[in-house]
Amino acid sequence: MSEIGATTKKFQKELNAGTSSLVLLGVLSRSPEPMYGYQIAKMLEESGPDIPMMKQGTLYPVLRSLEENRLLESMVEPSVSGPPRRYYKITEDGRAALAEWLEIWKQTKKFVDATLKG
Amino acid sequence: MFRTIEEYLDALKNAMKDADPALIQDAQADAREHLTNALEAVREKTPEVSEADALGKIIEEYGSPEETASAYREVERRTSPVLKQTVKPQTALGRFFGVYLDPRAWGALLYMFIAFITGIFYFTWAVTGVSLSVSLLILIFGLPLALLFLLSVRGLALVEGRLVEALLGVRMPRRPLFSHQGMKWMDRLKALLTDKATWLMLVYMVVQFVLGTIYFVVIVTVLSVSLAFMAIPVLQSVFHQGAVMMNNVRYSFPVWTYPLWILGGFLLWTIFMNIARGVGQLHGRFAKWMLVSE
Repeated sequence: MSEIGATTKKFQKELNAGTSSLVLLGVLSRSPEPMYGYQIAKMLEESGPDIPMMKQGTLYPVLRSLEENRLLESMVEPSVSGPPRRYYKITEDGRAALAEWLEIWKQTKKFVDATLKG
Repeated sequence: MFRTIEEYLDALKNAMKDADPALIQDAQADAREHLTNALEAVREKTPEVSEADALGKIIEEYGSPEETASAYREVERRTSPVLKQTVKPQTALGRFFGVYLDPRAWGALLYMFIAFITGIFYFTWAVTGVSLSVSLLILIFGLPLALLFLLSVRGLALVEGRLVEALLGVRMPRRPLFSHQGMKWMDRLKALLTDKATWLMLVYMVVQFVLGTIYFVVIVTVLSVSLAFMAIPVLQSVFHQGAVMMNNVRYSFPVWTYPLWILGGFLLWTIFMNIARGVGQLHGRFAKWMLVSE
């Protein structure tokens, strides 16, 4: 049982590796204002399924790598209490990438669904 | 399981101990930001919940230190390393001349130029800051001044880190490590003063002045000598000037030596580019050792 559980967990993780970039870009493209990590995590939690798809901690390294590829930009703003927050905003490159990724996602979804239906 | 955020951060550091120190510092900064924000949100809604209970649930959602550590490692592995060498010539000769195609060599050269300017600024800042803070300590506002100065040193260290990573390709922290939040400012000052990292950063700022000056002088010297060698044929055949002047008499080099001068100047610069690339890597390691707290 635990064997299957571990494999399932691994499958979920590998799936998330690709989709989390897409989800984050999507969220930030729709947000009129820059958002910080906790805000994004909270939003995903509320709009997501009952079973959380991914740990919130995994979002941060993805945000960072998106920024490194210039799809996002960020700035640090002090907060009233606690450490400063890093606010992320989508760039023009990010929007262009999102449009392409969405197309790939649609194709992939269609392909997988069609294959599974047989 | 974790009673405070600090405990979680320690566990996270432990789980990442084989990773790059700069990556650990980034992961800790992210976790600190998230956990503090989440804790604040819980406290606003339900003030009666204890910190340990609230943290339990928050960390459940954030992920265990091991899970978080593996997420960072995973993404770092997929992210292309900065300034990866674009071509990999095999032969020694290819490696020697391939330096012109190596972004690390050009980056190192640019860094050395910039180090001259930043070095002067760091040195001035450090000396002014230290002397002002120390001499004003007899007055009451010397203490806040010292605190501000030490914080600025931390900030500058981060900026220097970004510069080193961009130009020398050595992974440096991308987030400041805020380990003193929630403290009173006197305690904060004490923590900064007793932290070895602060003093290493200060020493780095002073040393950078010396290194920056040396880099600059060497670059300018080698560049002028190389260019002067290559200019000899032009000087003699286009402007009809002898290249050497002795006792008010100009001497010219024979025409057959022209290719040698050009080749010599070119070789000199190529050798220097190779050296600059090596020095850049060394400087990157030095900066990491001085600026990234273990």
